[in-house]
Amino acid sequence: MPITEQDRNGQLLLQLEGGLTIFQASELKDQLLQALSRTGNQIELDLSGVDELDTAGVQLLLALKQEAANQQKSVSYSHHSPTVLAAIDLLNLAATLGDPLLIPNAR
Amino acid sequence: MDMDMARDALVQESRELLAAMENALLEIETDGVSSEAINAIFRAAHTIKGSAGLFAFDRIVSFTHIVESVLDRVRTGKVQIDDAMLSLLLNCGDYIGALVDAIQNRTEDTEPDADRRAVLEKLLGAHLEPAPAVAEPTASSLATTAPDHGPGTEHIEGSGGVDSDNWHLSLRFSPDVLRNGLDPLSFLHYLTSLGRIVYLHTVVDTLPALSQMDAETGYLGFEIDFESDADRAKIESVFDFVREDSQIRILPPHSKIDEYIALIALMPEPGRLGDILVRGGALTEVELAQALDQQHDQQIGQKPLGAMLVEQQVVPEAVVSAALNRQKQSEDKKAHEQKFIKVEVSKLDQLIDLVGELVIAGAGANLIANRKKDAQFEEAAQSISVLVEHIRDAALTLRMVPIGEVFQRFPRVVRDISRELGKEIELIVTGAETELDKSMVEKLADPLMHIVRNSMDHGIEGTEARVLAGKSPTGMLRLNAYHESGSIVIEVSDDGRGLNRERILAKAIERGLVTPEQILSDNDIFRLIFEAGFSTAEQVTNLSGRGVGMDVVKKNIESLRGEVEILSKEGQGTTTRIRLPLTLAIIDGFQVMVNDEVFVIPLDLVIECVDLAGHDARHNIVKLRGEPLPFVRLRELFELPSLEQSRESLVVVQFGQQRAGLVVDRLLGEFQAVIKPLGSLFSGIRSISGSTILGDGRVALILDVPHLVQQTTQQQSLAQSGKSAGFLAHNKTVDL
Amino acid sequence: MGKTILIVDDSFSMRQTVGIALKGAGYDVVEAADGKDALTKLDGRKYNLIISDVNMPNMDGISFVKAAKLLPNYKFTPIIMLTTEGDETKKQEGKAAGVRAWVLKPFQPPVLLDAVSKLVMP
Repeated sequence: MPITEQDRNGQLLLQLEGGLTIFQASELKDQLLQALSRTGNQIELDLSGVDELDTAGVQLLLALKQEAANQQKSVSYSHHSPTVLAAIDLLNLAATLGDPLLIPNAR
Repeated sequence: MDMDMARDALVQESRELLAAMENALLEIETDGVSSEAINAIFRAAHTIKGSAGLFAFDRIVSFTHIVESVLDRVRTGKVQIDDAMLSLLLNCGDYIGALVDAIQNRTEDTEPDADRRAVLEKLLGAHLEPAPAVAEPTASSLATTAPDHGPGTEHIEGSGGVDSDNWHLSLRFSPDVLRNGLDPLSFLHYLTSLGRIVYLHTVVDTLPALSQMDAETGYLGFEIDFESDADRAKIESVFDFVREDSQIRILPPHSKIDEYIALIALMPEPGRLGDILVRGGALTEVELAQALDQQHDQQIGQKPLGAMLVEQQVVPEAVVSAALNRQKQSEDKKAHEQKFIKVEVSKLDQLIDLVGELVIAGAGANLIANRKKDAQFEEAAQSISVLVEHIRDAALTLRMVPIGEVFQRFPRVVRDISRELGKEIELIVTGAETELDKSMVEKLADPLMHIVRNSMDHGIEGTEARVLAGKSPTGMLRLNAYHESGSIVIEVSDDGRGLNRERILAKAIERGLVTPEQILSDNDIFRLIFEAGFSTAEQVTNLSGRGVGMDVVKKNIESLRGEVEILSKEGQGTTTRIRLPLTLAIIDGFQVMVNDEVFVIPLDLVIECVDLAGHDARHNIVKLRGEPLPFVRLRELFELPSLEQSRESLVVVQFGQQRAGLVVDRLLGEFQAVIKPLGSLFSGIRSISGSTILGDGRVALILDVPHLVQQTTQQQSLAQSGKSAGFLAHNKTVDL
Repeated sequence: MGKTILIVDDSFSMRQTVGIALKGAGYDVVEAADGKDALTKLDGRKYNLIISDVNMPNMDGISFVKAAKLLPNYKFTPIIMLTTEGDETKKQEGKAAGVRAWVLKPFQPPVLLDAVSKLVMP
């Protein structure tokens, strides 16, 4: 899972590409933890490039939110890819995650 | 269409597996039991059952299932393999073969032989454990080892059902679920194909903060209210693969409130779950309150309803790691097997056809190159020809298969027949790796079977007779194959009593096949047994000896452009030798011309070419280096007008041990001939084996040299014995 | 995104028939004739699912799964094993190796497809 990173006025913008599954979960967890420790207060995670998501990926997204809250920081997810939207919809997690979702018209 | 192909593949594969099974059984009979052989047998039955199951061919599935069950007991040492068991398994193999035939003939819905099947099943049943002797023919079912543990609703008494019309699913997965390659998300997705998720709550209670989390462990649980018409089994089956390690609770619509109580009781935070249930509409507020009350009451009483909700614990992992290094058995042999790919025969044939066309086109290009007298062009055409020749050879070898494919059925045949005859006969197979054209392999099976049966029946004596004759009591039958100058030679030999020259002659005279005055060589006499209706057996057995057979054998072999001969020594044995061309498709030919007609002679049969003029040639005999050589003038044979000025050439050809000369007008040289079969119109012409198209588009006839050699040499012996009338029917085409 | 399934079975007709069924359902299929052959197909490309027979020459399904579980790219790939009733010991071994999805032979293609769709999201 390649992550690209950008700093925008003290806010860290991360972009995830490819699979967000158990195959990448361990490595990604470490990367996200690092990113969290580096940022002042806020991370935005762009999920537009996520083309595969499984339960491991979902719980990673959930845990990152919790961890950020514990550290008095905030993480937001944006530009959810259709794959991500479908999972959030199925698991009824929109409220739990609390990010604005762009629901495509086609649905 | 696709499925038809798959069906054909099933038939073909099953036959191969049955052959392998039979070999392994016979191997056990001769060499004793080996785990490898037993595994091979087991695997054959296992695979046939599996493949047949895909098509719901229940007859074969249920029968093979019983065989497999017995084999499994053999494999685990619960049942011994003895002679009776071997015979039974061989018989079962045969019956599976009959069932496979039925599939091929699309008659799989009828039992080939219900009585036989019943007998076999009874015999097999005797080796199975008494209780579930014959398992149900399980057409298809999903496997889980977990017992059916769903909470039954019926026997719960005491409180009424809840209002909700929905199912409630409570899912907690094993921590290892993700590592095991199972994704709850995917199960939930599948669930939506059975109905509508009314409400889903993802339980994150056990999810630690990121820093504490093992990213590969599953933490999420789900509470689901689900609207569906599917039955309980169907909904449960969604979680078949995770059921064993996980806690999957499924409450049907209008479940007793007790069940919700039990559910709540199992949760670490009952209050929270109650909220979830209310939020999803599974319980009303009132029902929840009632439930919590009752739960409280029940804690005073005896152990509550939790018993019906199966508490699934993770089955301790079986301590079975020792078997890891077990798989090195016979890898060399089997590594060899997997280097093959299966190709449809029709694709090969298409390739061969194209190569044939290429050969013709190449010959055409060569012709033009030669006419143009352009050295560069000729050279280019030449190198293309060489490559085409290589492609041709390579393409033809694709169709080549080892004759072992035919030979492999004989151990069984010999075993069965020798038992039936009460003779002891040992079979020795050599040269099984010798290759020949696939299409010939198929056509060779029947003739060989006839010959082998003949040998066992009439050739090899009974044990007593053998001992009296000073031979070993065990008769010997040998199948052998080898390549010899562009042909494949297949021999069936026995060390039996040999052919009785006098008796054959007497019979032939009695049948009017020959006259008493004829002087015949041993070869001529032995050849008589191939005549229609000829049989010397004094007693007709049920195997051979009805006089059908040997003439059919000869006809079959000749239809493959082959030749069969018999070598025999009285008292010592008989060898039947079949000689076949390696392929039926393309030959290296030698072109000759008679008048304006081009004929092609298979090159590997041509010994030499000489100028006839310089030799003493009379009465169709020419003296060549002091030796007489019978010859035939093709012009006379085919009744072509003679040329005014021709310098005749003699092409010396050989087939088997015999030589003959063919007199032609001109020699044109070598040429690759793609054999095109003659139409049925020409099937009566014995001296021609096929036709081919020349580079310039003309048609040339291919000479049937074996036939010509035979009739020419016979003509010679006739001429010498002063008889002009042919004694063998097929001599009539020669007009001398 | 196409989903790819690796099917490992020594039976040519089984592979062919299952292959036809899976392709018909829109999956891409890669075939292997036994465990050893299958390992050579674990060459980095992605499989959404592996379907493997147990009883095969050269390398059986259990050994294959154990080997696959050691490869980072495949250690979490869902696996369906095709078993027969008598395979209880094998099944225990498979379980120890991490296999949880079993389809009992003989089966008809819809049964397998059903199992596949539980494990592979469209």
